[in-house]
Amino acid sequence: MGNVLVLAEHRQGELRDITFEMLTLAPSVAEALGGEITVLLLGNEIDQMAEKIAGYGVKVLVVDDPLFADYNSDKYQKVLSALIDDLKPKLVMVGQTAQGADLAPALAVEKNLPYLSDIVGLEVEDGAIKVTRQFYSGKVNARYAFKPADTALVAVREAAFEAAAPSAAGAVEKIDSPLKEDLDYRKFVEYIEAEIGDVDITQSEILVGIGRGLKEDKNLPLAEELAAVMKADLCGSRAACDAGWLPSDRQVGTSGKTVQPKLYLCMGVSGAFQHVAGIKGAKTIVAINKDPNAPIFAEADYAIIDDLHKVVPQLTEKLKELKG
Amino acid sequence: MKIFTCIKYVPDTSEAEVKLDAGGTAVDSSRFSFDINDADNYAVEESVLIKEKYEGDVTVVSIGPKNSDVMIRMAMAKGCDRAIRIEDDRIASYDPLMVARVLAGAIKDQEFDLVFTGCMAEDYGQAVTGVALAEILGIPHAAYVKKVELEDGKLKAHRELEGGLMEVVEITTPAVLTIQTGINEPRYAPIRGIRQAQKKELKVVNLDDLGVPADEVSAEASQIVLEKLYIPVVESKAEIIEGAPEEKAEKLASILVKGGLL
Amino acid sequence: MRGMKMTTENQTFTEKFDLLGCIQCGRCTGGCPVTVRTNLNVRRFVYDAYNEDLLEELSRVADIWDCTACHTCAVRCPKGLKPLEVLIGLRSLVVESGKTEPTVRDALESTFMEGNPWNKPRATRNDWMEGLDVIVAEPEQKVENLFFVCCTIAYDPRVQVTARNIVNLLNKAGVDYAFLGTDETCCGSEIFTLGEDGLFEMLIEDNTEMLNEYQADRIVALSPHCFTTFNTHYPDLNKPVIHYTQLLAELLEQKKLAFKDGLEKKIVYHDPCYLGKQSGVFEEPRSVLKAIEGVELVEFGRNRERSLCCEGGGGKMWVESESKIERLAETRVKDARALEADIIAAACPFCVLTLDDAVKAEGFEEEMRVAEIMEILGELEVMQEKPSSAQEVED
Repeated sequence: MGNVLVLAEHRQGELRDITFEMLTLAPSVAEALGGEITVLLLGNEIDQMAEKIAGYGVKVLVVDDPLFADYNSDKYQKVLSALIDDLKPKLVMVGQTAQGADLAPALAVEKNLPYLSDIVGLEVEDGAIKVTRQFYSGKVNARYAFKPADTALVAVREAAFEAAAPSAAGAVEKIDSPLKEDLDYRKFVEYIEAEIGDVDITQSEILVGIGRGLKEDKNLPLAEELAAVMKADLCGSRAACDAGWLPSDRQVGTSGKTVQPKLYLCMGVSGAFQHVAGIKGAKTIVAINKDPNAPIFAEADYAIIDDLHKVVPQLTEKLKELKG
Repeated sequence: MKIFTCIKYVPDTSEAEVKLDAGGTAVDSSRFSFDINDADNYAVEESVLIKEKYEGDVTVVSIGPKNSDVMIRMAMAKGCDRAIRIEDDRIASYDPLMVARVLAGAIKDQEFDLVFTGCMAEDYGQAVTGVALAEILGIPHAAYVKKVELEDGKLKAHRELEGGLMEVVEITTPAVLTIQTGINEPRYAPIRGIRQAQKKELKVVNLDDLGVPADEVSAEASQIVLEKLYIPVVESKAEIIEGAPEEKAEKLASILVKGGLL
Repeated sequence: MRGMKMTTENQTFTEKFDLLGCIQCGRCTGGCPVTVRTNLNVRRFVYDAYNEDLLEELSRVADIWDCTACHTCAVRCPKGLKPLEVLIGLRSLVVESGKTEPTVRDALESTFMEGNPWNKPRATRNDWMEGLDVIVAEPEQKVENLFFVCCTIAYDPRVQVTARNIVNLLNKAGVDYAFLGTDETCCGSEIFTLGEDGLFEMLIEDNTEMLNEYQADRIVALSPHCFTTFNTHYPDLNKPVIHYTQLLAELLEQKKLAFKDGLEKKIVYHDPCYLGKQSGVFEEPRSVLKAIEGVELVEFGRNRERSLCCEGGGGKMWVESESKIERLAETRVKDARALEADIIAAACPFCVLTLDDAVKAEGFEEEMRVAEIMEILGELEVMQEKPSSAQEVED
């Protein structure tokens, strides 16, 4: 039997989207492997979450214990390790998130599992699992196979799959925690919320985004002037914020903010998935980039393939004229 | 405070058009520039900052070709004290679990308090090596660290989660921290410093020197097989605006204004 | 060479910059163009730097990064000092500490790793040649004119036209020339002014060795920055270096080159600091422009030695001043507008970039444009004039 074990991810009382995205991918894999899907949910006072997941027609194994009140990779690893021994799943799925990436590599080492992270595609061919992941921020795709093993492990990229819709009623089964006492070498201390600056870009109607292609901070006025004409707020990719061109509360993407403007115009943004994941909610996307193969163009509604330094100043002028 | 900092020499592909070689099994890197992996550069800076604050020393560890010595010298010019470069064709360098085993082989018998890695490499984007390394060394870890606090022998790592939220965890040392970009502002390595760093020890070793059995880190040992590479077709639904830069600007302005988007 | 370096390193700051030679007359600050928009007082720095204990503190004053290395202060100094180099010396202290602005850090690292300050791979340095019929130099091959392109011209799409157009012109005029391959490496002009002495020394050594290998009669630099840097900081180069406008003036003079078309435009020529006041090349660019029929060449009030700096030098491409006061380039384009010039002609990539920005900032795009001299020439039909006398010379 080729069962699939999915690790549910939640934080501060809410299931994270990646959980449902994995539930889009899991059914076809389980079917091809001739097995069933089991979702593992760890936490404390999580009945509602368990019910919600069960609504996707899967079996939910729940460890509801104060030991799991806060996320802890090492505790999760201990439970997963025990369950892999018990359930012998063919495939284990976690999210390629700050939780999953902090956990899965260690689990792979401990259990000697074939492991691939940050996967964007997974197929079963003649019973063998084939995985697609990306190199160079999405400029090259790589296809892998796992060598024969009882259990393989993957970490699934966020927003690579659409979240599934609830289907049939599944079942919830509570199990005792395989972990009996707290760990002394890693403790959760607290969450610290990011400071919100003068502008909350998650609320912006129009956003102008900048990326590494802007080259240097002295080109910032280029974007600022355009944003002024468009009555837009400025935001940026991780590269733009790391470079100090914008404060970190203007960062869009998996490690920054998820935005939902009605118009997002970005320049010099290549479209690394970490950024793209943050703009899925944008209604109209305009991308200006000189690399015709930039992944951002896959997301765009309007594309200008050209040097932003040539186009943007002109665009600012034209908009000034048109808007009087 | 004894620190080991693991760094990698990677191509900069942020602006380049990437092409594959004729066989479709390797990336044509002839037109790339190579440099230290971005996150590793922050890891180097963080290790030097900690050394400067608490005293101690920093050893750089890297798996890579002779060409990467320049990157290692730069790290030493910034304040790292010595370096180990591992060069061995037998390593399955595409598999971060194999890479982690090799790095562990270089570190495990040494005395150390902290091991730093970048949280992810720009080339393969796996975000695996550091956490795997901790497990192999049998010590705690924290990934995506954007702030390190060391007080009274306690280590608090601020992990950057999605949405800009920080998770603070307290872990015992020795530990592995995988460093997120933006944690500090990496300094410049002046050329005089790089020249002086020629005097610092850069040991070049292979698997045999490390006592790491090749058959535990080779392609045979790896449980993954890289079957093929291909350039993904960017399936764009986008309307591509053509013309000279000025025309493009004019057309787009018109779409934005007349289409009621602004 | 090595001996020289040791003495330099053992010199005190005061000895190195001959601070005791300063009579505090203030002509340096009086003539300094950036004083109208920043607080930079170069005389003050020369005075304060005499106190070695103050150096560290002085190096942290942001004003030292306002200097554009135009050399007006050096031109005006009655004692023959170079006050600007005191500022560069202070920048060096910052560079040695490693605490540079990230933009400066990236430019320096890129120059060390890839031979250019623009974070571009060395391998793509000659991409500007695509589609052109260019002769690329081989060290052992004899050539009269060996061209040195400049990092900015090689990589910046706005000014690549300089190199592309000159290739076409050279081909049509039948000039004996060759361009360096991708081993062309930054001359170090901006590396020097950014204060990275160590890297600058390395570039001088490596470039001297590389350039000396070529069997060329002379080097022709497209940028005044490379031109002046080779002539003032490369003592061991085994061949002369000229600026391309000097070559063009020579070709015109020898009647090996002529322009078939005219251009009915009013052109004002902007003297780049590195070509004019630093190297004394004033007339050749003007004679090239005058050789175009129909061109009305007018002059800025501040021309030749008094030319107003565009603020593109001194590493300013990587350091932005805090000042919100009008940029010098903006003053310059306003002056050009007052002259009702159609074209501001420049012979330097940095001048073109800064003046171009200024034209946009002032909203003068309709009325005038900025053009590198080669940009203007590229729009004209070039012919190779061959009167009998010139042909003999050539053969």
